[in-house]
Amino acid sequence: MKLVWSWLLELCDLPLVPTVEEGARALTGGGLEIEGIVDLGAGFSGVVVAEVVGKRPHPGSDKLTLVDVISARGGAATQVVCGAPNVPALGRKVLWAPPGATLPGGLTLATKAVKGVESPGMLCSEIELAVGDDAGGIIVLDADDGTPLGARAQQALGVADWVLDVNAPANRGDCLGHLGLARELCALLGGRVVPPAPEPDLEALAADLDAAALARVSITDPSGCPRYVARVIDGLTVRPSPRRFAQRLRAVGVRPISNLVDVTNYVLFELGQPLHAFDWHHVRGAHIDVRRAHAGEHMTTLDGTQRVLEPTDLLICDGERPVALAGVMGGADSEVSPSTTRVLLESASFEPRSIRRTARRLGLPSEASQRFERGVDPELAPLAAARAAVLLARLGGGRIARGAVDVYPRPPTRPSVPLRLARTRALIGVEIPAGDCEAALVRLGCDVIPDGAGHWRVTPPSARADLTREVDLIEDILRIHGYANVPATLPALHVGPAQLVDDIADRARRALAAAGLAEAITFGFQSRDRHAALGLPAGHPRAHPVAVRNPMSAEQAVMRTSLLPNLVAAVARNISFGIADVALFEVGAVFLRKPGQPLDGEPTELCDEPLHAAVVLAGARPRWLGAPQPWDYADARGVLEHLARSLGAGEVRFVAASDIPYLHPGVAARVLGADGRVLGEIGEVHPAARERLGVDGPVFMFDLTLGALPAPTPAQMRAVPRFPASARDVSLLLDDPIPAARVRDVIAGTAQVLVEAVRLAEEYRDPARLGRGKKSMLWSITYRAPDRTLTDAEVDQVHEAIVARLIAETPAERR
Amino acid sequence: MTTGSDLIAQLERLGDEFAAVIAPLADEQTIRAAQAQFLGKKGQVSEVMKELGRLPPVDRPLVGQAANRVKDTIAAAVDARLVALAAARRAADLARTVDVTLPGRPCGGGHLHLLTQVRLELVGIFAELGFAVAEGPQIETDWHTFEALAIPKDHPARDMQDTFYVADEIVLRTHTSPVQIRTMQGHPPPIRIVAPGVVYRRDDDATHSPMFTQIEGLVVDEGVRVSDLKGVLLHFVNRFYAGSGGGLDVRLRPSYFPFVEPGVEIDMSCRFCRGGGCRLCKGSGWIEIGGAGMVDPDVFAQVGIDSERYTGFAFGMGIERMAMLRHGVNDIKLYYEGDLRFLDQF
Repeated sequence: MKLVWSWLLELCDLPLVPTVEEGARALTGGGLEIEGIVDLGAGFSGVVVAEVVGKRPHPGSDKLTLVDVISARGGAATQVVCGAPNVPALGRKVLWAPPGATLPGGLTLATKAVKGVESPGMLCSEIELAVGDDAGGIIVLDADDGTPLGARAQQALGVADWVLDVNAPANRGDCLGHLGLARELCALLGGRVVPPAPEPDLEALAADLDAAALARVSITDPSGCPRYVARVIDGLTVRPSPRRFAQRLRAVGVRPISNLVDVTNYVLFELGQPLHAFDWHHVRGAHIDVRRAHAGEHMTTLDGTQRVLEPTDLLICDGERPVALAGVMGGADSEVSPSTTRVLLESASFEPRSIRRTARRLGLPSEASQRFERGVDPELAPLAAARAAVLLARLGGGRIARGAVDVYPRPPTRPSVPLRLARTRALIGVEIPAGDCEAALVRLGCDVIPDGAGHWRVTPPSARADLTREVDLIEDILRIHGYANVPATLPALHVGPAQLVDDIADRARRALAAAGLAEAITFGFQSRDRHAALGLPAGHPRAHPVAVRNPMSAEQAVMRTSLLPNLVAAVARNISFGIADVALFEVGAVFLRKPGQPLDGEPTELCDEPLHAAVVLAGARPRWLGAPQPWDYADARGVLEHLARSLGAGEVRFVAASDIPYLHPGVAARVLGADGRVLGEIGEVHPAARERLGVDGPVFMFDLTLGALPAPTPAQMRAVPRFPASARDVSLLLDDPIPAARVRDVIAGTAQVLVEAVRLAEEYRDPARLGRGKKSMLWSITYRAPDRTLTDAEVDQVHEAIVARLIAETPAERR
Repeated sequence: MTTGSDLIAQLERLGDEFAAVIAPLADEQTIRAAQAQFLGKKGQVSEVMKELGRLPPVDRPLVGQAANRVKDTIAAAVDARLVALAAARRAADLARTVDVTLPGRPCGGGHLHLLTQVRLELVGIFAELGFAVAEGPQIETDWHTFEALAIPKDHPARDMQDTFYVADEIVLRTHTSPVQIRTMQGHPPPIRIVAPGVVYRRDDDATHSPMFTQIEGLVVDEGVRVSDLKGVLLHFVNRFYAGSGGGLDVRLRPSYFPFVEPGVEIDMSCRFCRGGGCRLCKGSGWIEIGGAGMVDPDVFAQVGIDSERYTGFAFGMGIERMAMLRHGVNDIKLYYEGDLRFLDQF
């Protein structure tokens, strides 16, 4: 909320008046963060208060006036040319911008001829000084304005002042008015808060009428409305508010309308109590009743909108119908108008949740509802009603009916809160003296009663509904004591639970970064279209994402069930920026409905959030001084094998799979662990899927479910070989469809213990030399014995036996 | 009749011939072959020495000595030649040059996301103080996210974190604080954890992203104090921003979060202007880095921890913001777009 510095100081009695910066620092340190300070008078300079001492028509124009002004009593008059229609009578004060003065927007005035007559500067309007929106003429100060001649215009306008932007915590509804902030400032700086005291004026401005005879108030729903105070003010004239009064409203961000409306706003910002003014003549039966709405009931609010009400809405009704949505907005029928002469003023407190619900449902947040939502002290209502009545009577020339109608069915008892000195010290970690604790609470307006050594019973002020427990009091003691006075210590180290999560995700990230890929982090949600690019058939476990009920945009529609769409979209984005080599990975959760949950609609329990590691390779990796080499399937597989090795996953196997909807049917495989469990998928992204995500060229990928990997066990050392190895090659001619894995499997099937390693050294197809549908593979097999050097004859014998099996079982021919 | 002096002359001639033979030879193999031709069993020196038997015995020692001299001469010639060749090879090798200004062959080039780097660093810093890592689901129950943290429905604090809903009682977690609840439910005190993780809020501008990352800390034990919170934060700030030479201060400013009491905002002295006031700290000399406080007794009640016996503190900070402050990232969206022009900078 906006806080006007001069207004705040009016409500404080401080031993030493702080500068605005000091005040801001104190409030911020006390938990009322000042987010900005605006100097209201900073927009212009050099403009002074001057008196009109002569005026005559301009010889060259009937729209211009020559005005003589003085800016010092007894000083020489200066003739200024003025184009405004409202040049006042002699003796009235205006605001003169002499040569050298600057106006908002940066214009610096000089002496200038206007239609042949020299004019040293100008007389200013509200628009020209940016202090209002009246462009109809120059500013004329009120006849009784006491600002001395020559004084800064800021002083006369009430803008020699600052506006502070206060960010009050959500539980400090009491700080949404100047009074509450004054209480805080006084507590922090050691002063005394001075609330407005309207009582004497009430008497002085009393009418020969009795409020109780003019207004009857009943509360049908006391849980929604704990207190309702009404006052009646009679004989009012609706007119604009005085300039400086209106200026304060502008400063807090409210447009002045008329004295009647402005007074309710003024008291709202001053005391934090929202008020509502009804035109008494439109309150039928002179009766106010507070009740809940009936189902299907409706009313027209003062913005002209017809509102359909719900039984949770709290209403202010007159003898016949609703006249206001309590705490949210008034009704059109009972609104004050320029012809209003008698006002029924409402100063009430309403239950926060009810107001919040209604304001939310109708999308009607207002200065009033924001305060009621955070709770308004019921004890404030009579003061606010009296203060507003006095201001109304003053500004509207009216009289106040005697007495207030105050309905307060169940004044809450305020229980005292026990407070222990030892607990206070233990929680804060500072040996705060007992006297300081007590003094802090007293400064905040608490009643503090000793209750045995080191114990007190504390009754907080009614405004502080947030103080209900010992720990709340300790916080306030600490606020006043100052966090700066708390030392820095470290908690005693007691062993807690050990590492609570597996760090497999970070191990995967490190391995993939080491493999040369860049990590991406993408949103957990995505558009339906992006998800649909996977082309999953209904019933597929990933085909039914959980939807976000209230996304801010279509890009946040559904939770991802795969890392792939966001990554491929990132590929598209990079390619569009001309990046030729895109090698990205992401490790993160996907969100899957739990088994047994409905496939569509809202889930009834939390999702499974398995961790996945996905890689995309697109374009070509740069080579040293040579043409870039396009990424291909083998690159993806190489990265996957590196990852599996790094994670201690043991042997992984690849089984061709043509049924994965988002992968190319000829370039896709399931990845299996040694135990046959499916760990993930690898292949080329289906051209239809990647095109839908905006990528033209091939994208190779893999996606592993990290949770499916076997838990790593500490690697065990194998003896470092002491005897040399021997290698033998065999060149095979095979039918093209026979996978490489088949050759490996046959070799493994021989269970030949001397085989140490099997490596595919070469693979090629050449119809001319090999025949159509054939391929050649050169395999290199390494043999070693742990306990001796193998002889050539021994190796040859084993090798030939393996080759024979290969020829027979693969089947293959030897080349 | 062959005389001793003939043989000596022949042997000496062989020595001279050998020098001539190996002079043009440029590799060790041919030099060794030449050496064998002269000195081997069937070599020329042996051939000459076959004549020895025909000499009178008195001449034989002189011839024998001459033969040994020739053998030494040849061996020395071989060694000298090999040394010279090695020297020439080394000289030739050393004469080789490369253009040292050519670009390097690409190697590695992969890296972790800036947010991952920062998160790992944070987890490491807190591990020094005995904090273990805990995690929880991103799609959370309303109860874990709000109710258990003393934020009932209709509570004004729900405004501060505009929530994405998945169902009536299921939300995208708006903070990592539900991990506090899950940890306290699963483990009796003492507890000392950090919980980094992704969270979601309905907010989208240059400094707010609908998804972002927080790190939450929680300590629950007997005798945990506000001063301990301050000490832990002070350690963290100076370790994480160690590059600025330490000496940073922490300011706790009273604030309100329903699940802590007292609750504070955490400010650190501005590392850029050192408190003097600059654009980043908006002239205040302080930069807000997160929220914290002492665990509210109502939260302890929800998870069945005796708040008379145990106290605790919790803190939460935005990892994006830390990375923004330290690395000058000026738009939070850059973190999530997978744009290599950004990612490759870190």
